[in-house]
Amino acid sequence: MPTRRNGLSGLTESARPDSRGAATNGYQPGVRESEHLRPVAKRQLGVGQVALELNESVRAPADQVRDLVRLSDPALSELEFERLLDELLVRVRDLLGVDTAAILLLDEERQQLVARAAKGIEEEVEQGVRIPIGRGFAGRIASQRVAIFIADVDQADIMNPILREKGIRSLLGIPLIVEGQLIGVLHIGSLRPRRFDLRDLAVLELAAARAAPAIERGRLLDELEREHRNAVILQRSLLPRRLRTVAGVTVAARYLPARDEVGGDWYDMIELPGGEIGIAIGDVVGHGLAAATLMGQLRTALRAFTLDGNGPGRTLELLDRFAVMLDEEAMATAAYALVDSDNRTVRFASAGHLPPICLSTDGQARAVEVAVAPPIGAFGYKVCPEHELRLDVGETMLLYTDGLIERPRVPLPHSIEELVAAVAGARTPEDACLTAMDRLVPPRGPRDDVAVIAVRNDPVPAVLELELPGSSAMLAPLRRTLARWLGEQDLDGEVASEITIAVTEAAANAVEHAYGPSRGKFKVHAENTDGGIEVRVSDQGRWRSPRGQNRGRGLRIIKAAMTSLDVRTDHDGTEIIMRRKLERA
Amino acid sequence: MKLAELKLETQGHIACAHLQGDIDMSNAVELRAELNSMTPNEALGLILDLREVHYLDSAGIHLIHHLREDLHASGQKLALVIPEGSPINHTLRLAGIDWREETVETVDAARRAVQLSEPA
Repeated sequence: MPTRRNGLSGLTESARPDSRGAATNGYQPGVRESEHLRPVAKRQLGVGQVALELNESVRAPADQVRDLVRLSDPALSELEFERLLDELLVRVRDLLGVDTAAILLLDEERQQLVARAAKGIEEEVEQGVRIPIGRGFAGRIASQRVAIFIADVDQADIMNPILREKGIRSLLGIPLIVEGQLIGVLHIGSLRPRRFDLRDLAVLELAAARAAPAIERGRLLDELEREHRNAVILQRSLLPRRLRTVAGVTVAARYLPARDEVGGDWYDMIELPGGEIGIAIGDVVGHGLAAATLMGQLRTALRAFTLDGNGPGRTLELLDRFAVMLDEEAMATAAYALVDSDNRTVRFASAGHLPPICLSTDGQARAVEVAVAPPIGAFGYKVCPEHELRLDVGETMLLYTDGLIERPRVPLPHSIEELVAAVAGARTPEDACLTAMDRLVPPRGPRDDVAVIAVRNDPVPAVLELELPGSSAMLAPLRRTLARWLGEQDLDGEVASEITIAVTEAAANAVEHAYGPSRGKFKVHAENTDGGIEVRVSDQGRWRSPRGQNRGRGLRIIKAAMTSLDVRTDHDGTEIIMRRKLERA
Repeated sequence: MKLAELKLETQGHIACAHLQGDIDMSNAVELRAELNSMTPNEALGLILDLREVHYLDSAGIHLIHHLREDLHASGQKLALVIPEGSPINHTLRLAGIDWREETVETVDAARRAVQLSEPA
């Protein structure tokens, strides 16, 4: 075969052809030559021969031409990055009739090549092979930006043991270059000794020239997508998975990442041991993974500060100090509302955040302007004023981030008025969130992250129906809700407190004895009947007879506090039915 | 807001724990551990000031019961400050608990009661 006569077999370690030899022959216009190496290539190969061989390759069989064309197939650009690389390698392997093909991409920071795709030597990718620039076969191709042909792998300086282990005998590799920048290395290998010739080189270079921009584009997109994906995953994992049903209030929330880049918005709902409900919202300045991570830290810190018993103002002051300590560049706005449904009040503080919207029972909405502190992290330590707002039964408070309302060239007060108009008339917190998102978020998705949370001070229902997690932490909120309901039943104070004690004991029983480590739920149903107050506490657990003095005391308390006690148990669970007769006037 | 706040002061050899808030199944175990650690061996006894406790359930009763036994075992005295009309007194009555012997109306009375127990 004439091509073999002009093979590159002599060009191993010391003599390397210029990788862009083909460029001088019109195959890769615009790619700069590496001058000092080119003479070596010329001397070894002879310019005429190069031209001759390349001409031959242009006159390659029709199917090879077709294969070459396939390498710049526009359909490739539609592929996911990993699939794009795989598909390119399959095509290169078919085109050149080789056994292996691999792409290593440059990790610029570490100055290493990382195996990203391989055919025939998949282990390279699976084991995450990394080759320092300048070392071994691929490393030298990258550092010197030249093609390297190795006729006999056994005799060569090869870093990657996988190549030898797989029984590869001959290798040909070239740098992948886009706009003068090295992006990686493409190499092919043969399991039998093969003298890759100039035509092989030309075909491989042509393949590389066509594939490299697609690879680079794909890599950049992949990086962006990966970061976006990670940030969205992180963001989602940090936001409350679902809002718990809490007695006394109804809460609804929405979060939507920006259409291009995730940001650092968050919302939170915190049930405090005393029964108040903390409603938090915040917006970390910046985008991407860094913003999402900082958001997670601030959200957690806010929870910790409020659980330690700090009011909203103090919580935000501490959050500010925390943020400054964490990162001098950190900046965020946040608002925190502590809702006391019994007293119909909200303690509220804001660090540079947008004003809350209040919805009254008649459907009217208004923005509540209060004095705010500067944003968190922005201007050093600060004092955060705390306000007491009223939240009457049936009223809703809505907190949101700027992603919901900000539009280019629209003044902020105007945007806030748009939101006020949008949510006016909303009947429930869910309805308010839904309407706000529906009216204000553009169909293509928001330009910035959007977080919205709405809380309503629920009216006391005629019949109390609660479903609570089987945790002792639920006992205090249960007591509060029950006390609130009992407060509407026109009872003597002592009777109400005795019923509360009895119901808490029954609930403690459900929590303590009815369930194993996998906590279930329990239900409380209370109604004012002709016969008096009837309360049922039910769970899906199996009833266990009282153990020890403690639970025995509990039952004794129930019996003493109520007129009647009935325990029903079957395989669906246990129900404690308690009645307290009332002296009707 | 914590469900219950605990403040401790020591005067002479008497520890005084002022409790405020609710005591139920969710915090009784934690409170018991805190109270135990607050009563060193050399203390004569412990005053448990429950005037500001608004709610106490059977887990809370259990807590006091054990505290009482622990102190008794180490030769220390427990004094409970529970005014007659307080909400928890009501609970104790419902539970049929009689701690009249160690229950007083004020912290001062409790201090005197603990001091009296000191062996001459």
